[in-house]
Amino acid sequence: MYDQAELGAAVDQNSTKISARNVQVYYGDTHAIKDVNVDIDAKAVTAFIGPSGCGKSTFLRCINRMNDTIDVCRVKGDILIDGEDIYDKRVDPVQLRAKVGMVFQKPNPFPKSIYDNIAYGPRIHGLAKNKADLDDIVEKSLRRGAIWDEVKDRLHAPGTGLSGGQQQRLCIARAVATEPEVLLMDEPCSALDPIATAQVEELIDELRHQYSVVIVTHSMQQAARVSQKTAFFHLGNLVEFGETSQIFTNPKDERTESYITGRIG
Amino acid sequence: MTDASLPTGGAKPQSGSLTTVDARTKKRNAAEKRFRAYGVAAISTGILFLIVLLFSIVTSGIGAFQQTFITVPVYLDEAKLDKKGNRNIDDIKKVSTFGYNPLIQKAVLKSVQDAGIETPLTKSKQMKALISASAAGQVRAAVIDNPALIGQTVEFKFLASSRVDGYLKDRVKREHLARDKNIDAEHLDIVDGLQDAGVLAKTFNPAFIFGADASESRAEQAGIGVAMLGSLFMMFVVLFLALPLGVAASIYLEEFAPKNRLTDLIEVNISNLAAVPSIVFGILGLAVFIQFMHLPQSAPLVGGLVLTLMTLPTIIISTRASLKSVPPSIRDAALGVGASKMQSVFHHVLPLAAPGILTGTIIGLAQALGETAPLLLIGMVGYIASNAPDGIASGLLDPNSAMPAQIYEWAKRADPAYYERAWGGIIILLVFLISMNTLAVILRRRFERRW
Amino acid sequence: MPVIWLCVIVLAISIVGFIFGRQRALSSAGGDARNLHSLPNYYGWNVFMKVVAPAFGLMIVWLIAQPLVVQNSISGMIPETEIKEGSSIGLVMAEVRRTADGLNNAVAAGVISQDLSNDPGADVEALTASLKEAGQVVTSTITQPILLAAQAYRTMTNTGSLILAALVLLVSLGAAGFAVRQADKDYKARNVVEQGVLALLMAAASVAILTTIGIVLSLVFNTAEFFRLYPAADFFTLLEWAPSFSGRGGASKLGILPLLWGTIYISIIALLVAVPIGLFAAVYLSEYATPRVRGIAKPLLEILAGIPTIVYGLFALLTIGPLLVSVFGEDGAGWMSGGRAVMTAGIAMGIMLIPFVSSLSDDIINAVPQAMRDGSYGLGATQSETIKQVILPAALPGIVGAILLAASRAIGETMIVVMGAGAAARLSLNPFEAMTTVTAKIVSQLTGDSDFASPEALVAFALGISLFVLTLGLNVFALYIVRKYREQYE
Repeated sequence: MYDQAELGAAVDQNSTKISARNVQVYYGDTHAIKDVNVDIDAKAVTAFIGPSGCGKSTFLRCINRMNDTIDVCRVKGDILIDGEDIYDKRVDPVQLRAKVGMVFQKPNPFPKSIYDNIAYGPRIHGLAKNKADLDDIVEKSLRRGAIWDEVKDRLHAPGTGLSGGQQQRLCIARAVATEPEVLLMDEPCSALDPIATAQVEELIDELRHQYSVVIVTHSMQQAARVSQKTAFFHLGNLVEFGETSQIFTNPKDERTESYITGRIG
Repeated sequence: MTDASLPTGGAKPQSGSLTTVDARTKKRNAAEKRFRAYGVAAISTGILFLIVLLFSIVTSGIGAFQQTFITVPVYLDEAKLDKKGNRNIDDIKKVSTFGYNPLIQKAVLKSVQDAGIETPLTKSKQMKALISASAAGQVRAAVIDNPALIGQTVEFKFLASSRVDGYLKDRVKREHLARDKNIDAEHLDIVDGLQDAGVLAKTFNPAFIFGADASESRAEQAGIGVAMLGSLFMMFVVLFLALPLGVAASIYLEEFAPKNRLTDLIEVNISNLAAVPSIVFGILGLAVFIQFMHLPQSAPLVGGLVLTLMTLPTIIISTRASLKSVPPSIRDAALGVGASKMQSVFHHVLPLAAPGILTGTIIGLAQALGETAPLLLIGMVGYIASNAPDGIASGLLDPNSAMPAQIYEWAKRADPAYYERAWGGIIILLVFLISMNTLAVILRRRFERRW
Repeated sequence: MPVIWLCVIVLAISIVGFIFGRQRALSSAGGDARNLHSLPNYYGWNVFMKVVAPAFGLMIVWLIAQPLVVQNSISGMIPETEIKEGSSIGLVMAEVRRTADGLNNAVAAGVISQDLSNDPGADVEALTASLKEAGQVVTSTITQPILLAAQAYRTMTNTGSLILAALVLLVSLGAAGFAVRQADKDYKARNVVEQGVLALLMAAASVAILTTIGIVLSLVFNTAEFFRLYPAADFFTLLEWAPSFSGRGGASKLGILPLLWGTIYISIIALLVAVPIGLFAAVYLSEYATPRVRGIAKPLLEILAGIPTIVYGLFALLTIGPLLVSVFGEDGAGWMSGGRAVMTAGIAMGIMLIPFVSSLSDDIINAVPQAMRDGSYGLGATQSETIKQVILPAALPGIVGAILLAASRAIGETMIVVMGAGAAARLSLNPFEAMTTVTAKIVSQLTGDSDFASPEALVAFALGISLFVLTLGLNVFALYIVRKYREQYE
């Protein structure tokens, strides 16, 4: 097995945003994540790839403690964001999630207006001083989500009325509205058509200038297109982690190679 | 929560350390706790209501199962009961209950005096308030049954009057006696004395469960047994009509019905009938079965027909659900070996769905058993159910009451002694309902098949 | 011939037919069942079905039609003078039927001779006396026209029954012969029998339609009769409900509005109790409760739904009423004069509706997709914020539908208001006053002593139709909303 500590050190060139140490996840009796160590860079896109059921989404959901909402799920080990353990007893997951935003596999706009979808996060976290301020946040977020031009004339139309690609960009805009530092994306393009996928990928590339983005994807091409670092998961293990170009051209582990060449997956 | 306008806004939560909880988050977490508490409070209130309800039923109704009895030796005076002395049964029958009353009152007075109770009441007539009006009939029936008793002293166990019973059950209190014409403080002194002497005692009263209703002034004698038979006959009618009709209708709709307007119409009708107030079914029963078809009023047959129509949607809905849960592969397998569609349904689908159908039927029956409103309109109330039916035809066609209607009737009567009986009736009704529902749950647990 | 014997004979014919049909089919196949198109029993059932269906069909039609025909021709025989003041043709006809039944029973009991019973010139007074002596219920002295009508009624009924018996026997024998001859090895008996069974199944399914038709017809006809006797405009607009019983003089005031107000007021109180408790309980059960708590609390709450309404009625009358009086009555706040009040019935009904609201809302909240919750948690919302700002708004249409269904339940509820709400119709705002409802008045008008043909009794049907339309409308609307809501997430 690849030496995890050495691997962590090898890629530690930029500043590290998130570091995971000996993370184990159990679903009831199932050991879903086995001893994962990884350092995720700030202001870069990190892709998690691997066959379905390999634990990549589970690990992603550990980073903003979304797994807390599942009763049978237990997490062991440490995940540090900016050096603070997010599984510390004193950490309120609610505060954490404002800092670590998340975008889901299927676009899930609330059955509210576009404006209210974006304003929801700032409102619950009290980010706006007044109405004008909130309007600003909404506009800024929609611009960052690269959807402002398409919806600026119908901010009060329901968000569910948008097309799939627009909905997903709306969800990304909704996630950035709370001013997070990390954006987690769980297969954000799997429910979208190729054109919408291209738009969202372009957006992800934009976002990396402001946020640390972690994206789970089942598409190796997508990982190659958008990410700087790639981690390959297999059967709950982090098999290999490194520069995206290196993983795709010169994988060190034969399992990674098998996956990339299509022999497992 | 439109906190956007709050002046406290503007503090970005991510600016601080994650391990310190900021003020806003504290507030939000407090709101979270409050909201959760509302939920707990709502559930607790609901369960509290249930407990209070069950508690008042049990505490108020349990008394109905006990009744105060007075055991006295009665001298069956030949001079009064059989003047001619030839034990001719026809002559004996001519003596009405009025002829027996003095004997009983005399016997009670004698018991009072024998017990050494000091009382200003020395006339035997004054003992009337202690004894149920049913006592004379009880002695008369015993004498007619066995004329040889005449001339002897026979021990009888009489029901005490409802006031005496109420005194023992704390319903009749001494401070309220001034308003009560039926009983005096002196009587209650006697009651105390008789109780000490062991002549008068409160014991289990099976007549409440098995007996017939009594007239308004004889609360102590009333029982729910005949009404129970009325309910039983109605349930037979419901079972024998609603089950086959419901199953047939469900099979048609689930397995055979083509997608057309008639099917849609039937579906709409069934879902709407499930929501029609039960009283409307009573109106239907009154207008169609009694006014138009001239079926006998107050008859369990009519009650059963009305309840059948009312229960049918429930049974159809649950039967269809259990037919639906049989996987199509079973049907395909039967069709695959050359069975006709009809054969595949009757040989394979229906037996597999049977436990579910049965469960639904029992629940439907339980619902029908507790229903009152439609029965009021077809006259199954207000009738004093004094005679038990003596056969199936009489059970179906003779006027009768039903358990819930009997309870309603008791609740309407002026004598508070009847309230206790109404609660007691509810205990019996609930025992039936609980047993039926438990049976349904057991059937479901035992036979439920997961595909 | 009594109908029951006719049934037995028809059944006997069909059973014999079953055996012959089966036999004949088998012999046509040379005794080898494998040569038959269908299993041998299907040939038997074919005969059975073809005998029973027309025979019983004819019987049912005849038995429904005969009384109508007889009634029609008899009512023509009754002179106008026979219909007394305050009476109606219906009542006279009932008297005729009673007399006819009395004659039948008296003849059967041997009290009077067959000849005397058929003698149109018989002494009516003597006849009445002997009927009464025979224990037959005859209200007053039978008059000559009624006796004649009763005798005609008897003759027509008897002839009718005879013809029926003959026809039914003829039809069943003919059908049996026909069906037995059909039995042949190539005859597709199974298909025919299955067609028959299918028709039977379809007929069973149509009972639902028949029931609705029965409800609508019985309401409409009697309501039309009521509006013939009492102006419809008054019924819908009068602010007063004061029925006077016929004979006491004075016209009744039968306005539905006070009753409707009582109904709505009590329903509102009930919903004020049931909706917050039911809704919060549903939210807690579906969002917070552990499976263990849910497994205990949900069935406990649902027990409330299984308790018959008579129990709630008694609970209102004997527990809630006295409790409220002790707090708000003359010894307390002084707002309440008796145990029966809008509050009393409303609270009891509210308790009854809690599980109804909670289980409907529970289903609806569970139908909100998990993605909505994830989206909200992912933004850092707390659970209560998610519920209040995402789940409940998303579930709102469904919850509104559930509340409307509960309202329709409350409006149609009878026993609780009959026992807990009181009998006086008033338009008042004081919830501690006794009021009455549409359902309570339906019960009191139809169970009282008033004559069935009087407006005071018939008004119950007009109330019934109003209730039917109201609850049905609410239901259809509510189900429509709920269905729309479910489609949104499918």
